[in-house]
Amino acid sequence: MSPRAVVDRAKSCGIDWMAITDHNSLANCPAYAAAAAAAGLSFTWGVEVHTSEEIHLLVYFDDPGAAQAFGKELYASLLPIGNDPEFFGDQVIIDENENILGMEPKALMNSSVWDLSTAVGEARGHGGYCVPAHVDACVNSLIGQLGFLPAEPQFDLFGLTAKADLNEFLQGHPELAGKSWLRCSDAHYLADLGSGSSRILAAGPSVGELAKAALGLAERKILV
Amino acid sequence: MLKLSEYLAVIDGTNHTPGIDPENIEISGAYVCDMLSDVMGSAREGQAWITIMKHLNTVAVASLTGIPAIIFAKGNSPEETVVQKAAEDGICLVSSPLDTFSLAGILYGMLNQIV
Repeated sequence: MSPRAVVDRAKSCGIDWMAITDHNSLANCPAYAAAAAAAGLSFTWGVEVHTSEEIHLLVYFDDPGAAQAFGKELYASLLPIGNDPEFFGDQVIIDENENILGMEPKALMNSSVWDLSTAVGEARGHGGYCVPAHVDACVNSLIGQLGFLPAEPQFDLFGLTAKADLNEFLQGHPELAGKSWLRCSDAHYLADLGSGSSRILAAGPSVGELAKAALGLAERKILV
Repeated sequence: MLKLSEYLAVIDGTNHTPGIDPENIEISGAYVCDMLSDVMGSAREGQAWITIMKHLNTVAVASLTGIPAIIFAKGNSPEETVVQKAAEDGICLVSSPLDTFSLAGILYGMLNQIV
Protein backbone atom coordinates (compact mmCIF):
# COMPACT_ATOMS: atom_id res chain seq x y z
CA MET A 1 0.00 0.00 0.00
CA SER A 2 1.38 3.40 -0.87
CA PRO A 3 1.91 5.78 2.05
CA ARG A 4 0.04 8.61 0.29
CA ALA A 5 -2.92 6.37 -0.49
CA VAL A 6 -3.03 5.07 3.06
CA VAL A 7 -2.90 8.54 4.57
CA ASP A 8 -5.54 9.89 2.16
CA ARG A 9 -7.81 6.96 2.91
CA ALA A 10 -7.35 7.42 6.66
CA LYS A 11 -8.24 11.10 6.41
CA SER A 12 -11.32 10.35 4.34
CA CYS A 13 -12.43 7.93 7.08
CA GLY A 14 -12.20 10.73 9.62
CA ILE A 15 -9.12 9.27 11.27
CA ASP A 16 -6.75 11.85 12.73
CA TRP A 17 -4.25 9.54 14.46
CA MET A 18 -2.89 6.34 12.96
CA ALA A 19 -0.14 3.79 13.36
CA ILE A 20 1.15 1.12 11.04
CA THR A 21 2.01 -2.26 12.53
CA ASP A 22 3.73 -4.27 9.83
CA HIS A 23 4.42 -7.90 10.59
CA ASN A 24 7.76 -8.11 12.37
CA SER A 25 9.10 -4.90 10.84
CA LEU A 26 9.24 -1.15 11.44
CA ALA A 27 11.25 -0.48 8.29
CA ASN A 28 8.44 1.34 6.52
CA CYS A 29 7.47 3.60 9.41
CA PRO A 30 9.65 6.52 8.24
CA ALA A 31 7.86 6.63 4.89
CA TYR A 32 4.42 6.61 6.51
CA ALA A 33 5.49 9.10 9.18
CA ALA A 34 6.55 11.51 6.44
CA ALA A 35 3.38 11.03 4.42
CA ALA A 36 1.23 11.49 7.53
CA ALA A 37 3.11 14.63 8.56
CA ALA A 38 2.64 16.11 5.09
CA ALA A 39 -1.10 15.50 5.35
CA GLY A 40 -1.44 16.80 8.89
CA LEU A 41 -2.27 13.38 10.32
CA SER A 42 -0.74 12.24 13.63
CA PHE A 43 1.37 9.12 13.31
CA THR A 44 2.81 6.57 15.72
CA TRP A 45 5.51 3.98 14.98
CA GLY A 46 4.28 0.44 15.48
CA VAL A 47 4.94 -3.21 14.75
CA GLU A 48 3.08 -6.49 15.06
CA VAL A 49 5.44 -9.01 16.60
CA HIS A 50 4.82 -12.68 15.81
CA THR A 51 6.05 -14.61 18.85
CA SER A 52 7.21 -18.21 18.93
CA GLU A 53 3.80 -19.23 20.32
CA GLU A 54 2.37 -17.54 17.17
CA ILE A 55 0.75 -14.79 19.24
CA HIS A 56 0.48 -11.38 17.60
CA LEU A 57 1.65 -8.55 19.81
CA LEU A 58 1.29 -4.91 18.81
CA VAL A 59 4.04 -2.64 20.06
CA TYR A 60 3.85 1.16 19.79
CA PHE A 61 6.67 3.67 20.27
CA ASP A 62 6.88 7.42 20.87
CA ASP A 63 10.63 7.41 20.18
CA PRO A 64 11.54 6.51 16.57
CA GLY A 65 15.16 5.88 17.57
CA ALA A 66 14.13 3.36 20.21
CA ALA A 67 11.68 1.84 17.75
CA GLN A 68 14.41 1.34 15.18
CA ALA A 69 16.72 -0.22 17.74
CA PHE A 70 13.93 -2.62 18.74
CA GLY A 71 13.29 -3.36 15.07
CA LYS A 72 16.90 -4.45 14.60
CA GLU A 73 16.71 -6.80 17.60
CA LEU A 74 13.40 -8.20 16.35
CA TYR A 75 14.73 -8.84 12.85
CA ALA A 76 17.71 -10.67 14.30
CA SER A 77 15.32 -12.86 16.29
CA LEU A 78 13.30 -14.04 13.29
CA LEU A 79 13.59 -17.63 12.11
CA PRO A 80 16.26 -17.72 9.40
CA ILE A 81 13.92 -18.61 6.56
CA GLY A 82 14.19 -16.60 3.37
CA ASN A 83 11.18 -14.87 1.88
CA ASP A 84 9.48 -16.44 -1.14
CA PRO A 85 8.29 -13.49 -3.27
CA GLU A 86 6.06 -15.76 -5.34
CA PHE A 87 3.92 -16.38 -2.27
CA PHE A 88 4.38 -13.38 -0.07
CA GLY A 89 5.39 -10.67 -2.50
CA ASP A 90 8.56 -8.66 -2.33
CA GLN A 91 9.26 -7.31 1.12
CA VAL A 92 10.10 -3.81 0.05
CA ILE A 93 11.23 -0.90 2.13
CA ILE A 94 10.01 2.33 0.54
CA ASP A 95 10.20 6.07 1.02
CA GLU A 96 7.13 8.32 1.03
CA ASN A 97 7.31 8.59 -2.76
CA GLU A 98 7.22 4.80 -3.09
CA ASN A 99 10.84 4.60 -4.23
CA ILE A 100 12.23 1.25 -3.22
CA LEU A 101 15.06 1.69 -0.75
CA GLY A 102 15.74 -2.00 -0.21
CA MET A 103 14.31 -5.45 0.41
CA GLU A 104 14.10 -7.53 3.58
CA PRO A 105 15.52 -10.99 2.84
CA LYS A 106 14.16 -12.92 5.85
CA ALA A 107 10.51 -14.01 5.65
CA LEU A 108 8.67 -11.49 7.81
CA MET A 109 5.53 -13.59 7.91
CA ASN A 110 7.34 -16.20 9.96
CA SER A 111 7.81 -16.10 13.70
CA SER A 112 10.43 -14.76 16.03
CA VAL A 113 12.26 -17.15 18.34
CA TRP A 114 11.14 -14.88 21.18
CA ASP A 115 8.29 -16.21 23.26
CA LEU A 116 5.68 -13.75 24.54
CA SER A 117 7.50 -12.94 27.77
CA THR A 118 10.77 -12.32 25.97
CA ALA A 119 9.09 -10.21 23.28
CA VAL A 120 7.33 -8.08 25.90
CA GLY A 121 10.55 -7.70 27.90
CA GLU A 122 12.47 -6.59 24.84
CA ALA A 123 9.72 -4.22 23.71
CA ARG A 124 9.26 -2.59 27.12
CA GLY A 125 13.03 -2.40 27.52
CA HIS A 126 13.03 -0.21 24.40
CA GLY A 127 10.17 1.93 25.70
CA GLY A 128 7.52 0.17 23.64
CA TYR A 129 3.86 -0.12 24.70
CA CYS A 130 2.51 -3.64 24.26
CA VAL A 131 -1.02 -4.52 23.20
CA PRO A 132 -1.96 -8.14 22.42
CA ALA A 133 -3.47 -7.97 18.93
CA HIS A 134 -7.03 -9.00 17.91
CA VAL A 135 -7.59 -11.05 21.07
CA ASP A 136 -11.07 -12.02 19.88
CA ALA A 137 -9.81 -13.50 16.60
CA CYS A 138 -9.47 -17.22 15.92
CA VAL A 139 -5.90 -17.04 14.74
CA ASN A 140 -2.78 -15.59 16.34
CA SER A 141 -4.61 -14.27 19.37
CA LEU A 142 -3.20 -14.40 22.90
CA ILE A 143 -6.20 -16.35 24.20
CA GLY A 144 -6.52 -18.47 21.08
CA GLN A 145 -2.92 -19.64 21.07
CA LEU A 146 -2.51 -20.21 24.81
CA GLY A 147 -6.07 -21.21 25.64
CA PHE A 148 -6.12 -18.84 28.61
CA LEU A 149 -5.09 -15.37 29.76
CA PRO A 150 -1.61 -15.75 31.27
CA ALA A 151 -0.87 -14.20 34.67
CA GLU A 152 2.37 -12.81 33.25
CA PRO A 153 3.11 -10.67 31.34
CA GLN A 154 0.37 -8.25 32.26
CA PHE A 155 -1.25 -5.88 29.83
CA ASP A 156 -3.39 -2.76 30.31
CA LEU A 157 -4.83 -2.72 26.79
CA PHE A 158 -6.07 -5.47 24.46
CA GLY A 159 -6.67 -5.36 20.72
CA LEU A 160 -10.08 -6.03 19.22
CA THR A 161 -10.95 -6.89 15.60
CA ALA A 162 -12.76 -4.30 13.52
CA LYS A 163 -16.21 -5.85 13.63
CA ALA A 164 -16.13 -7.58 17.00
CA ASP A 165 -19.17 -7.48 19.26
CA LEU A 166 -17.32 -6.81 22.50
CA ASN A 167 -20.20 -7.69 24.81
CA GLU A 168 -20.75 -10.99 23.06
CA PHE A 169 -17.05 -11.77 23.23
CA LEU A 170 -16.86 -10.91 26.94
CA GLN A 171 -19.72 -13.26 27.68
CA GLY A 172 -17.53 -16.11 26.57
CA HIS A 173 -14.47 -14.68 28.32
CA PRO A 174 -15.37 -13.40 31.81
CA GLU A 175 -11.66 -13.32 32.69
CA LEU A 176 -11.35 -10.27 30.41
CA ALA A 177 -14.10 -8.25 32.10
CA GLY A 178 -13.01 -4.78 33.10
CA LYS A 179 -10.07 -4.67 30.67
CA SER A 180 -9.42 -1.82 28.25
CA TRP A 181 -9.77 -2.34 24.51
CA LEU A 182 -8.40 -0.88 21.30
CA ARG A 183 -10.41 -1.57 18.17
CA CYS A 184 -8.26 -1.60 15.01
CA SER A 185 -8.81 -2.28 11.34
CA ASP A 186 -5.82 -4.64 10.99
CA ALA A 187 -6.06 -3.53 7.38
CA HIS A 188 -3.94 -5.50 4.94
CA TYR A 189 -5.62 -3.80 1.98
CA LEU A 190 -6.48 -0.17 1.38
CA ALA A 191 -10.22 -0.79 1.33
CA ASP A 192 -10.11 -2.22 4.87
CA LEU A 193 -8.58 0.92 6.35
CA GLY A 194 -11.03 2.55 8.68
CA SER A 195 -13.10 -0.63 9.04
CA GLY A 196 -12.36 -0.46 12.73
CA SER A 197 -11.16 2.39 14.87
CA SER A 198 -11.28 3.75 18.40
CA ARG A 199 -12.00 7.15 19.89
CA ILE A 200 -9.22 8.08 22.23
CA LEU A 201 -9.89 10.95 24.59
CA ALA A 202 -6.48 12.18 25.67
CA ALA A 203 -4.28 15.24 25.86
CA GLY A 204 -2.49 14.40 22.61
CA PRO A 205 -1.62 11.68 20.07
CA SER A 206 1.18 9.96 21.96
CA VAL A 207 1.76 6.48 23.29
CA GLY A 208 2.21 7.96 26.74
CA GLU A 209 -1.31 9.37 26.50
CA LEU A 210 -2.63 6.09 25.08
CA ALA A 211 -1.23 4.30 28.12
CA LYS A 212 -2.96 6.73 30.46
CA ALA A 213 -6.19 6.42 28.53
CA ALA A 214 -6.02 2.64 28.81
CA LEU A 215 -5.93 3.04 32.59
CA GLY A 216 -8.65 5.68 32.55
CA LEU A 217 -6.37 8.16 34.30
CA ALA A 218 -7.25 11.83 34.64
CA GLU A 219 -10.41 11.70 32.51
CA ARG A 220 -8.70 10.03 29.59
CA LYS A 221 -10.46 7.08 28.00
CA ILE A 222 -10.69 4.83 24.96
CA LEU A 223 -14.09 4.24 23.38
CA VAL A 224 -14.62 1.24 21.14
CA MET B 1 4.43 -44.32 -0.90
CA LEU B 2 0.70 -44.46 -0.37
CA LYS B 3 -2.27 -43.27 -2.37
CA LEU B 4 -4.30 -40.67 -0.54
CA SER B 5 -7.47 -42.52 -1.54
CA GLU B 6 -6.36 -45.61 0.40
CA TYR B 7 -5.83 -43.50 3.51
CA LEU B 8 -9.17 -41.70 3.17
CA ALA B 9 -10.94 -45.04 3.00
CA VAL B 10 -9.85 -46.02 6.51
CA ILE B 11 -10.26 -42.65 8.26
CA ASP B 12 -13.88 -41.94 7.24
CA GLY B 13 -12.46 -39.05 5.26
CA THR B 14 -14.54 -36.42 3.47
CA ASN B 15 -12.95 -34.78 0.44
CA HIS B 16 -13.85 -31.05 0.40
CA THR B 17 -12.09 -30.53 -2.94
CA PRO B 18 -13.91 -32.99 -5.24
CA GLY B 19 -12.14 -31.54 -8.27
CA ILE B 20 -8.93 -33.09 -6.93
CA ASP B 21 -8.83 -36.89 -7.16
CA PRO B 22 -7.18 -38.54 -4.10
CA GLU B 23 -6.46 -41.54 -6.34
CA ASN B 24 -3.85 -39.38 -8.09
CA ILE B 25 -2.11 -38.12 -4.97
CA GLU B 26 0.89 -40.06 -3.65
CA ILE B 27 1.86 -39.49 -0.03
CA SER B 28 5.51 -40.03 0.83
CA GLY B 29 5.19 -39.16 4.49
CA ALA B 30 3.31 -36.93 6.88
CA TYR B 31 3.74 -34.01 9.24
CA VAL B 32 1.60 -33.41 12.30
CA CYS B 33 1.63 -29.84 13.56
CA ASP B 34 -0.60 -26.92 14.55
CA MET B 35 1.92 -24.13 14.20
CA LEU B 36 2.39 -22.57 10.79
CA SER B 37 5.95 -21.43 11.36
CA ASP B 38 7.00 -24.93 12.31
CA VAL B 39 5.35 -26.47 9.25
CA MET B 40 7.04 -23.92 7.03
CA GLY B 41 10.39 -24.78 8.49
CA SER B 42 10.13 -28.56 8.83
CA ALA B 43 7.48 -30.15 6.60
CA ARG B 44 8.65 -31.66 3.32
CA GLU B 45 7.23 -31.78 -0.18
CA GLY B 46 4.96 -34.75 -0.70
CA GLN B 47 3.95 -35.09 2.94
CA ALA B 48 0.34 -35.07 4.05
CA TRP B 49 -0.32 -32.55 6.81
CA ILE B 50 -2.53 -33.51 9.77
CA THR B 51 -3.81 -30.51 11.70
CA ILE B 52 -6.75 -29.01 13.58
CA MET B 53 -6.21 -25.59 11.96
CA LYS B 54 -8.68 -24.90 9.18
CA HIS B 55 -8.05 -21.25 8.31
CA LEU B 56 -6.87 -19.81 5.02
CA ASN B 57 -3.20 -19.59 6.00
CA THR B 58 -2.94 -23.38 6.08
CA VAL B 59 -3.48 -23.50 2.31
CA ALA B 60 -0.79 -20.87 1.73
CA VAL B 61 1.68 -22.81 3.85
CA ALA B 62 0.78 -26.08 2.11
CA SER B 63 1.36 -24.47 -1.29
CA LEU B 64 4.66 -23.01 -0.18
CA THR B 65 5.91 -26.29 1.27
CA GLY B 66 4.70 -28.64 -1.47
CA ILE B 67 2.19 -30.42 0.76
CA PRO B 68 -0.39 -32.05 -1.55
CA ALA B 69 -3.08 -32.74 1.06
CA ILE B 70 -4.26 -31.37 4.40
CA ILE B 71 -6.12 -33.72 6.75
CA PHE B 72 -8.30 -31.87 9.26
CA ALA B 73 -8.73 -33.83 12.47
CA LYS B 74 -11.70 -33.95 14.84
CA GLY B 75 -14.23 -33.28 12.13
CA ASN B 76 -12.93 -29.75 11.50
CA SER B 77 -14.22 -28.49 8.17
CA PRO B 78 -12.79 -25.61 6.16
CA GLU B 79 -14.92 -22.64 5.08
CA GLU B 80 -15.80 -22.08 1.43
CA THR B 81 -13.08 -19.43 0.93
CA VAL B 82 -10.46 -21.91 2.11
CA VAL B 83 -11.84 -24.65 -0.14
CA GLN B 84 -11.77 -22.33 -3.13
CA LYS B 85 -8.17 -21.32 -2.53
CA ALA B 86 -7.16 -24.95 -2.10
CA ALA B 87 -8.90 -25.91 -5.33
CA GLU B 88 -7.03 -23.13 -7.14
CA ASP B 89 -3.72 -24.25 -5.69
CA GLY B 90 -4.36 -27.96 -6.25
CA ILE B 91 -4.29 -28.88 -2.56
CA CYS B 92 -6.64 -31.69 -1.48
CA LEU B 93 -8.58 -30.84 1.71
CA VAL B 94 -9.94 -33.74 3.74
CA SER B 95 -11.82 -33.93 7.04
CA SER B 96 -11.96 -36.92 9.34
CA PRO B 97 -13.88 -37.35 12.61
CA LEU B 98 -10.80 -39.02 14.15
CA ASP B 99 -8.45 -37.22 16.51
CA THR B 100 -4.91 -36.23 15.51
CA PHE B 101 -3.26 -39.08 17.41
CA SER B 102 -5.38 -41.72 15.71
CA LEU B 103 -4.97 -40.16 12.27
CA ALA B 104 -1.19 -40.03 12.70
CA GLY B 105 -1.02 -43.58 14.06
CA ILE B 106 -3.03 -45.01 11.21
CA LEU B 107 -1.01 -43.15 8.57
CA TYR B 108 2.30 -44.07 10.18
CA GLY B 109 1.29 -47.74 10.14
CA MET B 110 0.17 -47.66 6.53
CA LEU B 111 3.29 -45.83 5.33
CA ASN B 112 5.67 -48.19 7.10
CA GLN B 113 4.03 -51.36 5.88
CA ILE B 114 4.51 -50.33 2.30
CA VAL B 115 8.19 -50.38 1.49
